[in-house]
Order: sequence, then structure tokens, then C-alpha cells
Amino acid sequence: MSSADVVVIGAGLSGLNAAIALAEGGARVEVIARGHAATHWMAGGFDVAAPPRSGSSADGLGQLAALAGHPYAILAGSLPAGLARLREILAEDGLIYVGELDDPLRAVPTSIGGTRRVAILPAGQSAALVPWREGERLVACGPARFKDFWPTAVAASLSRAAVWGPAREPADRPERVDGVSVELPGLADRHNLSGMDLARFFDDPAWRREAFGRIAAAVDPIARRSPVRIGFPAVLGLTDHAAVLDDAARILPAPIFEIPLVPPSLPGLRLFRALRAALRRRRGGLVVGEPVVRVEVDGRSVTRVVASAAVRERTLRTGALVLATGGIAGGGLVGRADGRLEEPLLGLPVEAPAVDDWLAPDPFDPDGHPLEAAGVRTDGDLRPVDARGRVVFGNVAVVGALLAGQRYLSQRCGDGVAIASAARAAEVLGTSGPSIAPSAAAPAATRQRRPAKRTA
Amino acid sequence: MTLTTDVLIIGGGATGAGLVRDLARRGLRCILVEKGDLGTGTTGRYHGLLHSGGRYVAKDPIAARECIDENLIVRRIAPACVEDTGGYFVATPDDPEDYVEQFPAACAAAGVPAEEVSVGELRAREPALNPAIRRAYRVPDASLEPWQLVDGNVTDARSRGAVILPYHQVVAMQRSGGRILGVDVADVRSGTITTIAPRLVASAAGAWAGRVAALAGATLAMSPGKGTMLIFNQRMTDTVVNRLHRPADGDIMVPVHSVAILGTTEVEVPDPDHYGIGREEIALLMDEGEKLFPDIRAMRLLRAYAGVRPLYSEEPTTEDDGRGISRAHVVIDHGRRDGIDNLVSIVGGKVTTYRLMAEQTADEICRKLGVSAPCTTAGEILPGQGDGSFYWLGHRLADHEDTGGGDAELICECEMLTRSAIETFLDARWPCSLDDVRRGTRLGMGPCQGGFCTFRAAGLVADRAAAAGGDTATAAVADRALLDFLAERHRGTRPIAWGRQLQELWFTTGLYQGVLGGRSLIDVDGNGTSGAGNLPDAAESEHVVR
Repeated sequence: MSSADVVVIGAGLSGLNAAIALAEGGARVEVIARGHAATHWMAGGFDVAAPPRSGSSADGLGQLAALAGHPYAILAGSLPAGLARLREILAEDGLIYVGELDDPLRAVPTSIGGTRRVAILPAGQSAALVPWREGERLVACGPARFKDFWPTAVAASLSRAAVWGPAREPADRPERVDGVSVELPGLADRHNLSGMDLARFFDDPAWRREAFGRIAAAVDPIARRSPVRIGFPAVLGLTDHAAVLDDAARILPAPIFEIPLVPPSLPGLRLFRALRAALRRRRGGLVVGEPVVRVEVDGRSVTRVVASAAVRERTLRTGALVLATGGIAGGGLVGRADGRLEEPLLGLPVEAPAVDDWLAPDPFDPDGHPLEAAGVRTDGDLRPVDARGRVVFGNVAVVGALLAGQRYLSQRCGDGVAIASAARAAEVLGTSGPSIAPSAAAPAATRQRRPAKRTA
Repeated sequence: MTLTTDVLIIGGGATGAGLVRDLARRGLRCILVEKGDLGTGTTGRYHGLLHSGGRYVAKDPIAARECIDENLIVRRIAPACVEDTGGYFVATPDDPEDYVEQFPAACAAAGVPAEEVSVGELRAREPALNPAIRRAYRVPDASLEPWQLVDGNVTDARSRGAVILPYHQVVAMQRSGGRILGVDVADVRSGTITTIAPRLVASAAGAWAGRVAALAGATLAMSPGKGTMLIFNQRMTDTVVNRLHRPADGDIMVPVHSVAILGTTEVEVPDPDHYGIGREEIALLMDEGEKLFPDIRAMRLLRAYAGVRPLYSEEPTTEDDGRGISRAHVVIDHGRRDGIDNLVSIVGGKVTTYRLMAEQTADEICRKLGVSAPCTTAGEILPGQGDGSFYWLGHRLADHEDTGGGDAELICECEMLTRSAIETFLDARWPCSLDDVRRGTRLGMGPCQGGFCTFRAAGLVADRAAAAGGDTATAAVADRALLDFLAERHRGTRPIAWGRQLQELWFTTGLYQGVLGGRSLIDVDGNGTSGAGNLPDAAESEHVVR
């Protein structure tokens, strides 16, 4: 049986960050995940805190930290250093992020012609953060017939001032928005192109130079009349993204920024790949596609994690566990037909509203849905606690979307909570203490070895 | 503006559509008004079953005979709307032996063909069925597409001069003595009022018939019966499955295109526009459904929805009974009943017998107007029925293969719906909403329930709106379409929000509100999410969980 100092279950932003930090501290870390996480559909930036009436992420962070029961009430202090370290790690792979906690939150366009308020974005999206100059126009530009980005609809929607939020200054939005479709090289007979297909085309240097030439030609008539910025679907390369951005800057007549699309998210994929590379450089293990079927415990300690490999079970003895299984979308919380909400791996106590109150009648209720706040309650060291505040497992840290008390829809704090909780978990579990020392041998009672079965 | 016509038909469900076709074919000038889009009331919210009549053989043999007669006619005149799934009546351990024993004789008496099949053959054909089922009969049930059926009827009527006005609601009637002189209808999209002066008004408003009668000053006691249904993300059966017992809740599973629908409940509701779906109804449906399909709880639900049956609570007069009309539906001449000479209502009934209901109503109207032309609706195939063969689930895939395989531009992958198919629909129906597109093309009705095709179709609607008008109008139309679509989806998922459907809802909500900033589109141009589409305001006015 193999063993690890720490097993991390879940390969999203929180799990990978915690694993990297722990591996950096010298721990033997294994990440096990059932599948890919929110990294594969998130917009790629870091939403730290953007509740209504917050001016900056730092302002929002302060507001949320003051809310009783919010994860930031115990984690806000871990965020700045965690975020700074994450940016250094991503920069190792050339993935640069722009924006600071104190920067004003700004409305940036989305691919359905809406906006979202953000401050920290990958470089490929960051031109959207720059205040709009007087007379400056936005050109919503996309490949002809690409079905995940509709320039006419996006431009028409963004032409309405109210979409950009309460108008404060002219610099908050472009003076005008135009929609432009461009026929990209060799795609005239291609249909059903996905964002991933287009990203692979952009990874080809010769193809992308010709493509940018065509985009330049399409935008030029507008750019000659007024200052312009180009919003383009987030397909600007996967493996060669930084070079794609360099070529864009050289060839196009105006700055370009990516607008995230429906999944799979290229900005999210780039983030995942950079985190995976960072973990591997630090000799951490990562297996995606092996669901954990059982966690074995001895009293208040987790001792082993059993994952389902292709035709057998794989058991890992571990000294500690980071539970990064996500919220409802990720499967870390499961709703039952009888109205119970469960944490399925360890059966941890879950804090949840009454079932009749889970969802607001209006899908866009400004307060979001009460169910968002559901999750596992922890102590300051992220150890899960029961309703009376007693620690349930001493060597478990709960991170990310599984934490109770956050309202990711209305507070826009999910990425920040993931980053801060990962940093905290690494601090807590990375220090050698009695609760996390690998147990020399698992007690016989917890051994549940079964003969390997062949499955048809 | 005043329009004149022979007959004004109120209600654009299956019955109204069948009636306007029938009357137009008899040479009468007709106008049909519908407050929403066609087929959006009870017709668009039923379980999708073309009855063989087997369900009614014990309770109402006349209704059973009507069902089998009309079943055969609908198969002939609307083959493209029918998937010839066949049906089984199965005896589970919960079904009473005496009912099972008398079922074949009752079918024979009502003229419903029912052939016993061995349990072995049943299980070979439908392996997901309960292995404890002990008897089974095969009947000619089928799956019936309501919107295409309505479309075929009104298309035939239009070709004979009828005027069809969706999104037109009756707001007032002018009476003089025993006659309705004029009917004011409002275009619900523009607010424009038009007065129609008909020789006769025919109310085919179904569950809303009481309101229409009230506008004319008559009282018609309807008791709308809500039926709740559940949609599963897979066809766990390719054949309609019914329980062998007296009709009750949760005892029919109908394969409908790529999904399967479990129906229904029956709860009387005071108002056909305002009702919720209760948790106990869902629990009851699942409990009953489990008796047919033991693994049903392992299957993913897509949504819950409900329709209101147009039930009529007054006893039919002896005169009506004397004409041999089943209690399933009633044609009411308000001249004899309420002293309004030129108003006729048709109430009760079911989609399967829509044509018969239309025929009997048209006969009454023709008698009153002195028209002697006979009914011809049973003899001629509806427009748009292709080569006359039944609907086949694989047809869109076959079309793709015929046109070069997988390179057709798919907007909705689940339903294999192409860009050109949506554009053809928009050409024919513009101006229309994304919800109309959905009903006309099945956009977003497959397993992802619109999560990935909604905004694409909204993009197509925006392109169309841009071609027709200004930019701001474009955006408003697209937003409205998108927000309505998401609101309706939320409403349908809310009563069944557990397990994987809750996970899917959470993912979609996170996507649309997080990555796509959907909330920034609300209240731009005053397009808030209330009153989504043409659906009853179920979730808004009344908490879903009662």
C-alpha cells in the first residue's frame, strides 16, 4: 500500500493550490479527483469579493469578513499572501495575472452581452479593465458562424448603458459597441467549431498571423475613425497563449481582450495546466478520473483514502486529508429527494437551510439562493465541526466551495475563498503536529481489504 | 379597427385549431384568437399520449370508443406528429386481480384492440420494467406531438382563408339583448385593441372557458384539474406503459422524443393561471413510477411541469346525453342555456379526441348558422406531414447523414437541431419569442434542458431582430428570450431540485450568473423576469412547495 503525508481530494482551484503549497513545504502530497473541477468552466480570473456596493476587492473582502459565519471571517487574513504566491507560481509558466485587491472593480463584457464586475484577470482579458477613453469604441469581434459567440447580439446588448451598471463616469463604458464577424483562414467549410478547435488553430503561428491580419482588416475601418478596443472570444491559444497575445499586439490596430465563453473555458484550462505543472515540479502526485469511494477513519483521524481505479481499488494511507470536493455543482454536497443535504465522503455535518427555502422563486433574485450558503462549518484551522462546534476530524481541512457561509452568486467570492482556504490549510497541515503524523500502521479494524474482483 | 367574420374562435389549443380547420373547410370565414402562442395552454402541457382508449374501458366506455376511433384518424391525418410506440397495460403486484381479469372483455366491448403478450416478450422489449409484472396487454397507444398537430390544423385553415391571431387576448364583449355584437381583442405585445364583429363566437378556451363565458355575461362552472408530470432524461421505455388498474396518479410513462414523461396527478385548482407543484405530488409520482420502473430513482429528472385539464363541473343536460356525447366533453349552446344566441362553448375532452370535439362543435355552429356542408377533417391528411410515414426518433440524425454527416451546424446538440432549421422556423413565424422557437423545434428540450443552446438561439433571434429593426430592439428581444428561457427552466427544476438535477441547475446557474453575467441583463429596458413566456405564474404567485 502506498502512502502520503497529505491526500487532497479534488483538483479545483482550492485543492491544487493547497497541494502545491504543501508540496513546496516538503510534504508528500497526492491529489485524487473524480473529474475536472470549476477550472474547466470558470472565467479564468480571480473573483475575490464583489458584493453589491463594494468599490474594490479589498473593500468587498472587508465587508464579507465582517459577516458572522462567512469563511472570510476566519480566512481574510490568509488571502493577500495566498493570492500573491499563486500569481508567482502561475508566472513560472508565463501565465500572468493583472489587477490588485485595491483596484476598483470594473464592469467587463461577457459573451452573452452582459457584464460582470471584476478586478483580477489573466493578461489575455486584462485590456477590458482599462478605463475607456473619451470616444473609445468596443468592437465585439468573432469568427464567422462560431456558435458560442454572436457579435451582433453581444454588440446590441452592450450598446445599452444600463448593462454596464449604474453610470458613474464616462470611463466606465465604451462610447459605442459594434459587432463584427470575420471569416478566418480555412474555416469557410468548417462547422460546429468549438472554442477548443479555434484555440488549436491559434496555437499555429502561421495560421494565427493570417487570422490576425484578417481581424485587423475588419476592425481597421472603425479604428481609423476613433480609438478602439477589440473584444474577442476566449480562444487565443491553449499551449502557446503568451505568444498568441504577442502576435496580436504586433499585428492588430488596437488592444484585444478575451471574453470567456461557455465550457470548456480556455482561460480556465490554461490555469489548470499551469497549476498542474507547478504541482508536478514540486513532485506532487495528481490523478484525475479516480473517484474516491471510501475514506477510512480511526476515531477522529482519517487514516486511508480508497479510490476506484479502472478495475480495482487503490488505497492510500495518509496522515491528513484536504477535502476540496466542491459545493453542489462539484458534487462535494449532494441534495437528497427527502430534503437532506449530505457531504457524501465523510458524512460531515452540513449546515443548510430548510429544503423549502433552498431556491428563491426568481432565478435572478438579487439575494441569490439560500442554498448557496450551505456547506461544512469549520473551526479557524478549517477542521470540520458539528453543530455544537466540536471538531469532528482532527486531521482534515475543508477548503473551497464546500465551506459554509459563502454566497458565491451575490458576493462573487468563490475564487478568493478557494485561494485563502488553500493557503490556510497548507499552513495548518504543513506544520508537523501529532494529528497529522502518518500513522505507522492502520488498526486492523479499519482494514477492509477485499479480494480484487474482475468486472465485466 | 373592426373586423367582420362568420365565426370568432377563442383559444388556440388543439380544439380551437381543430375547430378553425373544420369550419374553414366547410366554407365559413373564421378568425382564431389565442392569448399566448398556439398550443401553450393545456395542449402544450400534457403528457404526449395518443390514447388507445384502454385507459377508459372500465370507467367510461364511450370515451374509450371515441379514443380508439380518433386514434386511428389522427394516425391517418397527422402521421408525422405520431410516433407509433404502441402501448402496454401491465399488471404489477399492486394492481387488483379483478380489474386485470375483466380488462380484455372491457376492451373488446369498447372496440379497443388489446392483445395479451407473454411476460417474457414484455421483458425482452422493455427490460427496465418491473420483473414482478405478471400480465401484459399490447394496445395501439402512441406518442403525439401537440405543437406540430396544432400547426398542421391552423395551416390548413389559413390556406382556406382563416385568420390566426396568436398573442391576442379577448378583453371585452359587447352584447345587445341575446347577441354578442362585437369582441374586443388586445394584441398583448403592442397593446393595440381590435374589435371583431362575428356572426357567432366559439369558445375553445378550455380551462379558461369560464372566463370567456363571463365576458359574455354567462356563467360556466369550470373546475380546472391540475395534472403534474415529470420528465426524465432518458427513454427508459420505447413503448407507452400504463398500469392495469382504474386510472390513478402516476400510472403512465410515455416516451416522447429523446425523453420520457411520467404522468400524472389530479388536483383541482381554483385558477388555471396560478398553481404550484407540491413536493407531495412529486413524491407520489416517484412512488407510483417506481412500481413500473424499479430503478426510476437512479434516473435523472429534467423537470416537473403541470397542465390544467378543462374539466366542466356541471352535469350535462339530458338533451346532451340524448345525443350520445360522452361526459368526456360537452358542446354548450348558450342560446338555450343562457339566452346568448351566438355563443357556443366546447369544454372537457382530451387532445386525443380534439378532432371529434371540433367536429361536434362545428356541427352545432353550422346548425345555428344554417350551413349544411359536412365535416371533412377525418378524410384528408394535414399539411406538413412529409411523406406520410410516422415520426421516427432517428430522423434528424438520418437527415444529417443525408446532407454529409456530422458537419451540419448544430445549435442544439441534444435535439440535433441545426441553424438552418431554426432559421426556417424564424422565417415562417417572425416575430416570435425563443419560447416559440422551443415549441416549434424542440430547442433545449433534451437532456441539457437549454444550458448550452439557449444563448445560441438567442443570438439567432438577435440576428433576425437586427435584420428587422434597430439595435436596441434586437438586444431587448434577445434578453427577454434568454431570461424567459432561464426563468422557465428554473421553475421546472425547482420542485425536483435534488441529486444530479440539482447539480445541473447549480452548474447552469453558476455559468449564467457568474461567467456570463446574466444578472446585468435584468431590468435593462424594463425586462425583468416576471411573467416568463406564456406560462402560468406558478412559482411567482404561490410558493412551489405547499
